[in-house]
Parts: sequence; C-alpha cells; structure tokens
Amino acid sequence: MGFLFESLQQSLQLIFSLDREVFLAVWTSLYTSLTAIVLAAACGVPFGATVGLLRFPGRGAVLTLFNTLMALPTVVVGLVLFGLFSRQGPLGSLGLLFTPWAMIAGQFVLAIPIVANYTLAAVAGADPRILPTAQTLGAGRLQGVWQLLLEVRFGVMAAIVAGFGRVIAEVGVAMMLGGNIRGYTRTMTTAIALETSKGEFAFGLALGIVLLGVALIVNLFLNLLQQR
Amino acid sequence: MKPLLILNDIRFRRDDFVLTVEQLELQPGRIYLVHGPNGSGKSTLLHLLALLLIPEGGEVRFAGRRIDGGVDRQRLRRQITLVEQNPFLFDASVYHNLAFGLRLRDVRGDLQRRRVTQALHAVGLMGFESRWAKALSGGEARRVALARALVLRPKLLLLDEPTAGLDREILPIFERCLAALPGQGTTVVIASHDADQSRRLAGITLGIDRGRVISAAGDSFTQLKENA
Repeated sequence: MGFLFESLQQSLQLIFSLDREVFLAVWTSLYTSLTAIVLAAACGVPFGATVGLLRFPGRGAVLTLFNTLMALPTVVVGLVLFGLFSRQGPLGSLGLLFTPWAMIAGQFVLAIPIVANYTLAAVAGADPRILPTAQTLGAGRLQGVWQLLLEVRFGVMAAIVAGFGRVIAEVGVAMMLGGNIRGYTRTMTTAIALETSKGEFAFGLALGIVLLGVALIVNLFLNLLQQR
Repeated sequence: MKPLLILNDIRFRRDDFVLTVEQLELQPGRIYLVHGPNGSGKSTLLHLLALLLIPEGGEVRFAGRRIDGGVDRQRLRRQITLVEQNPFLFDASVYHNLAFGLRLRDVRGDLQRRRVTQALHAVGLMGFESRWAKALSGGEARRVALARALVLRPKLLLLDEPTAGLDREILPIFERCLAALPGQGTTVVIASHDADQSRRLAGITLGIDRGRVISAAGDSFTQLKENA
C-alpha cells in the first residue's frame, strides 16, 4: 500500500508542477484526437444522416458493416494502416508513418463508424414531421436535412463525443502508427504503457489520472446531452 | 379573374388509395373548405395543392404557369404554405420558428422582426417571441404554427383541420384571423370536419369522398366535375 500511496503522491506532484513530459503527452493526445474527431464528424455526420434518411438496396448490409466496424480492434486498424503507410506500402511515399498524421488517420478510421452510427440512430429516431415541415415553409431538400440535424443536434453531439472518447483512450493505433516518439508522437496512453514497463509507475499514474479526468469530462458532457 | 391554382385530370396513387380530381380551380382571395369523412383524401389533396406530392397524371397550373421541373416546383412552393393537422414546431424559440421561412426568403433584420411581431399579434400571441416552442400549450402551439405560415404572406394557405381540439375561447381568434386573409389577397383552403365553419368564414365548400373530389357549392368560379 505504501508503494501505491507514494506513487500517487508523486504523480500528483508531476501534474500540479506542470511537468513538461506529462503535458507534452497530454497535448499530443488532445491535438491528434481532436483533429481526428473533427475530420470524422465532417464525414461521419453527413454519411450517417444520408443512410438514416434514405432507403436503398443494400442499406441493411451498410448498417451491419458499420455496426461491425464499431467494434474494430485498434491494433487491426494500426496493422492495416501500417501496411499502407510503410515504405513498401502504396502510401509509403507520403512519409506519414510515425508522424502525428498517421495517428490521426488511424483514429479517424476508429471514430467514423461510431459517429456515423450514432448520427444514423439520431436521424432515424427523429420526428418524421421535421422534413415535411421545413419543406412546407419553403426549404429545399438540403435545407430540410440541415434543419433536421439541428433538431437532433444533441444526438449528433453525443455521437461526436462518443467518438472522441474512443480515440483519446486508444493505444493500438497511436503505438503502431505513431511509434511513441518522445515529444512528437508520444500520447498519454502510449506513455503510460512505456513508462510503466520502465518502472516509472508514478509517471504512468500521473498520465492515467489526466486521462481519467478527460474521460470524466467527456462522460459528464455526454450525460448532460442525453438529459436534454 | 385568373385562377390562382388549377388541377386538371389529376390522378394520384399511394398503395391502394387513389385520389382523382377532374377539374378544380382556386380563385385568388377566397376561402375554400374541404369536407369529407376520415380517410377520404383531404390531407392528400392539401399536399397536392401544396405541390409536395407529384401526381401520376394530369396538369397543375399555379398563377397561370404549368408546373413541371423540380426547381420550378420549389420556387413556386415558396408562395404556398401548408399547416399540418398536428403541426411540428422546431426545438427553438417562437421567434426562430417564425423566422425560419423568412430567412429562406432572405427577409432579415428589422423587416424580419417587424413581420414576426405582426404575425404573432394576428394570432393573439404578442410577446411570445422568446418563449421556447416546445414549452407551449397545444392551443398556443397551433397558433404559433398558423403565425409561422401567416408571416410568409403566402398566396395560398392550406390548413389541415386547424381548429380540431382548439379551446372554445381560441376558436374565434383563429377564425377572425383566417377571415381577414382573403382581404390581403391570400387564398385559403381548409380541410375541416366542422360543417358550420364554411358559413362562419363565408367560404366555398368542396366535397371529397373516397379519393374523389365530388362537389362544390356556393361559388360560380369553382368548377368540379364528377369523374366519369
């Protein structure tokens, strides 16, 4: 128990002394995850809304595919993108491997099924009178869909927040595509894995506390949205 | 006087239900009341008049123009407003609900505010601008839906059972508001169960039964022929 208390004390000291290493990892985590989620929202929300509103042959297959992709293991995404971004891979010439952009790409792939699926559920569960009402007031099809998205805005925001929760906490993609390079691609999760294996338990604990704090804020926000 | 809207040999089918209108002419600045039992096609007729449904066959003319393509239809639809039997109010303030259609027509600033105030005044809801639409009572919500249509100053206003379930005290406000519309150049078509409403509003009665618009009374400008 003494070891745990001592480590906790040290980890709190690291956080409150604004330790550079800790905050570099926090910063890398936040900016890669936020960039990935912005891109995933820009693609996933329109895609989810489209599938939610349209009836087309093969829609069931698309739904099944996206439900399956929601449970995609992060190391599988890391593995596939590693193959694409590695020097011999088809995208190797871009030089993305072991850069923050490779991590963002992986996190984007992880987040997009979550954002699209939750948006789809929000749109499919929306009041069926929204679109006709907008149209009777003079809206075109796209303006009507925009109004519908505004009506289900809390569901859409919950979709984005859930996607963010997934990518900020993942370790497989960040480790495989980022390479855990200190001060460059080292995120909270990869730093925890590394520092703990080196015996720097207090450092890992400090990052764990920050990560837990971020997860708590995300969940509080999600609960707040669900209560609306 | 040139008719505002003409339906010629219209046939519309949805599943087993077929609506046929041999000829119907709506004159500007008149009130029409469509009577018929439940399921007779009153709402479908209003949706056809609102240009929201496309008939299988026949000709629709609005203000002398034959309605063909989608762009034309959407442009002309902005001169028509339909208030559904169970109107949907957007999850926003009353002001936002009324301003929605005005923004689509590029009416902004002081003119927008003035028109919203006037429309709320017309339905007896002065000072309701900042109230949240979802928090209104059923009667208030219906009056806001009417105001949202009136604010657009449509050439053709279509109302589906607008007074069903309204309090007795509100009914005269509602009907006074409707009776004033022909004087402002608006043609009003009301689907109603209330047979006495036609007399109170000095309107022209149209009959509809099992998908056939079958009769008209009290107006020489309206021609309706029974299907052969």
